[in-house]
Amino acid sequence: MNASNLSRRRFLRNSGIVGGGLVIGLNLTGCSRAPLPVPPLADGLTPNAFLQITADNRFIFYCPRDEMGQGVTTGLATLIGEELDVHPADFEVRFGGVHPDYANPDFRMQMTGGSTSVKAHFLPLRQAGADTRALLLAAAAADLGVPVASLRTEAGHVLNGDDRHPYGRFVGTAASLDMPADTPLKSRDAFRYIGHNFPRVDGVLKATGTAQFGIDVDLPDMLHAVVRRSPVPGARLRSVDQAPALAMPGVTHVLAISTGVAVVAGSHWQAKQAAGKLAPVWEDVPLAGIDSATIQEDYARAMEGTDGVVALDEGDVELGFAAADKVVDARYWTPYLAHAPMEPMNAVIRIADGRAELWSGTQSVQAAQGLVARTADIDPALVTVHNTYLGGGFGRRGTLSHVTEVTEIALAVNKPVHLLWSREDDLRNGVYRPASLMHLRAGVDAGGNLVAWDAHRVGSNIGPDSLRAVAPGVLPGVGERFIHGMADLSDRITSDWFADPTSTEGLADDYDAAHRRVTQTTVNHGIPVTFWRSVGHSHTAFAKESMMDELALAAGQDPVAFRLKHTRTNKRLHNVIRIASEKLREMQPESGRFLGFAAHHAFDTDVAEIAEVSVTGNRIRVHKVTCVVDCGLAINPDVVRAQMEGGIVFGLTAALHGNLEIEGGAIRESNFHDYPLLRMDEAPDIEVIIVDSGEAPTGVGEPGVPPIAPAVANAVFRATGQRLRSLPLRLSA
Amino acid sequence: MIEFTLNGKTVSTNDSPDTPLLWVVRDTFKLKGSKFGCGAGLCGACTMHVDGAATKTCVLPVGAVAGKAVLTIEGLGTPDNLHPLQAAWHELSVPQCGYCQSGQIMAAAALLATNPHPDAQAVEAAMAGNICRCGCYTRIKRAILEVAGSNLAYDATRTQPATEASA
Repeated sequence: MNASNLSRRRFLRNSGIVGGGLVIGLNLTGCSRAPLPVPPLADGLTPNAFLQITADNRFIFYCPRDEMGQGVTTGLATLIGEELDVHPADFEVRFGGVHPDYANPDFRMQMTGGSTSVKAHFLPLRQAGADTRALLLAAAAADLGVPVASLRTEAGHVLNGDDRHPYGRFVGTAASLDMPADTPLKSRDAFRYIGHNFPRVDGVLKATGTAQFGIDVDLPDMLHAVVRRSPVPGARLRSVDQAPALAMPGVTHVLAISTGVAVVAGSHWQAKQAAGKLAPVWEDVPLAGIDSATIQEDYARAMEGTDGVVALDEGDVELGFAAADKVVDARYWTPYLAHAPMEPMNAVIRIADGRAELWSGTQSVQAAQGLVARTADIDPALVTVHNTYLGGGFGRRGTLSHVTEVTEIALAVNKPVHLLWSREDDLRNGVYRPASLMHLRAGVDAGGNLVAWDAHRVGSNIGPDSLRAVAPGVLPGVGERFIHGMADLSDRITSDWFADPTSTEGLADDYDAAHRRVTQTTVNHGIPVTFWRSVGHSHTAFAKESMMDELALAAGQDPVAFRLKHTRTNKRLHNVIRIASEKLREMQPESGRFLGFAAHHAFDTDVAEIAEVSVTGNRIRVHKVTCVVDCGLAINPDVVRAQMEGGIVFGLTAALHGNLEIEGGAIRESNFHDYPLLRMDEAPDIEVIIVDSGEAPTGVGEPGVPPIAPAVANAVFRATGQRLRSLPLRLSA
Repeated sequence: MIEFTLNGKTVSTNDSPDTPLLWVVRDTFKLKGSKFGCGAGLCGACTMHVDGAATKTCVLPVGAVAGKAVLTIEGLGTPDNLHPLQAAWHELSVPQCGYCQSGQIMAAAALLATNPHPDAQAVEAAMAGNICRCGCYTRIKRAILEVAGSNLAYDATRTQPATEASA
């Protein structure tokens, strides 16, 4: 590689065009003087964007991240409550609107994802809490006429000897004082809430049906819309006879929008019934000639080619193979998948007097604001976004075409509009986890050492598609043509120059080997793809951890000992595998049950999982999963456990059922009868062991997912002798 | 006009009789706790009790409940007056995103009303119609079994509207 290549690489990496993510971070940096989107508090204290304390001692926490089930309201309330000395359950939690102060410090924009929320806010939110507590103490000292040093705080009160004064008593004075900065934070041994278990702060709302989701928003005079879209992604409406829908009861409008035909009526049911009467004709697009079989053949052909881009090249992999005693060579397949959150996409909007107000549960209120502004051609500052609870996210609610749709419809009908997708819309008109074909070749020398690891992935890339989906929202001032140009450039770059990091992440990173190479060949048929819980790790861990078992067995070694031996430079993963191996040694599965093991590092977190599996006929049953996780300091250990449990069930759905078939460019599956999700009678018992750690917290929302599919595949091999290299796992008779 | 009782109160609607009960409850009577998940009776997010039986209401025409008693999550308990299952859901941090949980709790309440002390297998069988994409199953099962095994089990068999039960 020459110098100009190097500098070009560096420029492209830094510009973020490769991955599609960073380029977006340009417009939100540092503090802003923009007014906070929180209601003013006359008789109280608003010390920053996150807190309000009322004179009657109510504590309002404006959560900067979106709650999609991962427990972020609990986790972030714990961070700020710890330093403020307010029990996390005593906060009234609201969601912050669009404001730079609510940016995700990791992304420098308002986006919830990548298992970053607790990690990124760990210090900033604690600092906000500590500075506010110091401010309240200073106010209390002034009001009580005592030195600050004589005061303590506990559970929302200032303690002066035996007297307990609510914080609210001092908010007036506090509002007149300067905000302290850089107040020292507590040490770990002083934590009262961090590291302790208590129920999630949203549990009562969610057990009583009183948590508000986007679908629940109901405005006076609101109309209901549904949209008919092309079954083949990207095909535009050619023509439609509107009459059959217009003749149906309650229908007020039938209109063409950018994604298809919208039917608007007085109620959702009326709109849905009427939309079913339409027979729209869609334009022909090349994707219509593509089936699952075409995709698999094209991927297999690309695997033989030499036009891939190198994602990692350490040592000399061919030299490594020359030194190998045993070489294992295998191909693994993972299909397209849908997120299928239980709450289908929806949004409610009111546009009047040049302003817009949107309600929707999204992973980016900032992108939602920008999309409304772009579509309605108004200043983003005139668009208010109310985030609600999200009925599941998993990456799906970062792509907001439903927000564009509802805006287009409301502009046409001049009334508030509630748009709801059906489950069929969700599965057939979504954005997907990309399919992957992975070829792994690895060699072990005569001493049982891993000497060469060569991995090649074929498939499409998330970066360019996410740029297409997200940039129009977060860069509202940038022209659509420029954004498309940028995305097309990103397509070219990831296909010809540099691998998209999310395409191959985790394919070769975890184990010590002198010679390693990872190659990516891009084949893109045009099925739109996006982040799906654990992203690239959702496919790479299956290939990598299956291969580790195959290699160990070929070399006559115990698969777990083989992993321990090759994680000497990777202490945290090594430790997690060691703890799991001790659990494994104690396990005595009953007759007919078999254990499988896998481990993986993702989102800065290390996870090992042991699956206890039985096979009856062709049916694979997972009875128990034991999970060991090191995520640094566990802010609320029970929430960490819940995320591992949830990740394992999510990953098991992919391992045992998840599959989308493409027929004539369209997704074949339509609802839960042909895209089944794991149900209670298939769900295993799950034990989670959290490694005690005082290190800074790392991700927990996603890392539970990757190891489970290979752990089950490795157990199935022990049970049957069949090595299953495709997901979902299907035994042949 | 179709008349039925909703959480203990007599209500009537002019909605077309083929309108699914779910949409009548959500959009006409503005009770938003019951959720839409699939529209095909496959996921259970819309589960309510009709004359005491757990019923998927996204495929149940409102005409079919004329003269019957409908109970929704709002009628089972409220934040100030939790049903024992709701209290267990909170204490064990069962919900994640929470979207399916109204349906899960209604299915569980119908089970305990007929079988106050189910074993794990009976719980799995009764709950197989309710999907949780977040994967809260181990906790849902534990919460039901804890209520069933405790002296709250009798109380948990109440499926009359909470407002009436507490009156």
